[in-house]
Amino acid sequence: MAGSTMKVNIVASDRPLWTGEAKSVSIPASEGGMGLLPDHEPILTVIDKGTVSAIDVDGNRHSFEVTDGFASFDSNSLTVAVETGVDTKKDPTATAD
Amino acid sequence: MASQLGLKSRIASTTSLGKIFNAQEMIASSHIAKARTVALNAKPYSDAIFDAVQALAAHTEIDHPIVKSTEHNPRVAVLALTSDRGMAGAYTSSIIRETESLLARLDKVGKQPLLYVYGRRGVSYYRYRNRKIAATWEGDTDQPGAETAREIADRLLEDYMKTAAQGGVSELYIVFTEFVNMVVQKVRVLRMLPVELVRNSDQKADPVANVTVEPVENDKSENGAASSVAATVPGDVTSVAKTDQTSPLYTFEPNVAKVLDAILPKYVQSRIHECLLTAAASETASRQNAMHTATDNANNLIDTLTRQLNASRQASITQELTEIISSADALNKEEE
Repeated sequence: MAGSTMKVNIVASDRPLWTGEAKSVSIPASEGGMGLLPDHEPILTVIDKGTVSAIDVDGNRHSFEVTDGFASFDSNSLTVAVETGVDTKKDPTATAD
Repeated sequence: MASQLGLKSRIASTTSLGKIFNAQEMIASSHIAKARTVALNAKPYSDAIFDAVQALAAHTEIDHPIVKSTEHNPRVAVLALTSDRGMAGAYTSSIIRETESLLARLDKVGKQPLLYVYGRRGVSYYRYRNRKIAATWEGDTDQPGAETAREIADRLLEDYMKTAAQGGVSELYIVFTEFVNMVVQKVRVLRMLPVELVRNSDQKADPVANVTVEPVENDKSENGAASSVAATVPGDVTSVAKTDQTSPLYTFEPNVAKVLDAILPKYVQSRIHECLLTAAASETASRQNAMHTATDNANNLIDTLTRQLNASRQASITQELTEIISSADALNKEEE
């Protein structure tokens, strides 16, 4: 089924954080935490300080501590743009600065 | 002809200067790679913001102070991006020249320009001349981070959002150097605020999906003197290629106004960051060029001086020989 995964692109203002296919993503939206699944309706939302985490196709969790930014979902592709973001697991590939 | 000792010391000092120039050139070329990486890293973010602003412009009637100024206010902000260090050829002086002519143009049309300066060289130039500067930033002009852009954008947006009575400004111009390639860097004047969103309704398909976000160029270039150096920015027009695709209906959370409040300042910030990055790349490139020329000049000077030294040494040897021979001749004649 086409809707089993979605494209996710998480970027901070100075570098890209993570890009890939994900089964679900949760974001700290300004009105409270929000979970996004594939084929969500198009949305543009402001996000606050918190944790963005994406679960990729293999079930691995990619989490980032972020400060304010926004997320937009459109044609099964999610873009999360934040001011600053740090990988909570200290994954060397994602935090290489 | 200069003394041999004098020539020798000039050759020695030129050699050591040449070494410094050469080192500076190599440092600059290594920084260029870094500047490129930083610019590439910042690209996805500015793309994301641009897409979001596009989506917003396509789905809502944007009515926000960042997009159109509401009140009449003659005060305008001018931000000049100069370098922290010298040894970059005409980099800072071209920026200052263009800033001066922009200030004069704005003055002429009855505006009151406020000066904001980034970079130690520009700051010291204006401080020395006792010019009023609204705000300055220094440090890291050759590799500006997102934090620097945030600081600058925060201050400028704060001043922009103030009313005229509070000492706010109604427009923001940025004078920066655009990186065209390693050899060519152009000084540009960009009107950053208010951000101008233009709808291209003349295109086919869905007109709402075609949005041109165009921070409009400075249109007051009747002063032709400087415009050869500083063209305005028509290349800044970015149009959207999503013609055949109807835009999906977006949900905005918490609401459109809040989303605009959050995204438009970020858009401005990321645009300022872009300007800083292209200015940094230009600075590094013009430093490399200047240092390359300086190294060449030093080498030419060393060649000329060495030739002079050799000539003067040979002249003195010839003179000594002549003296010895003539005195020997004189002695021989006396013996006869």
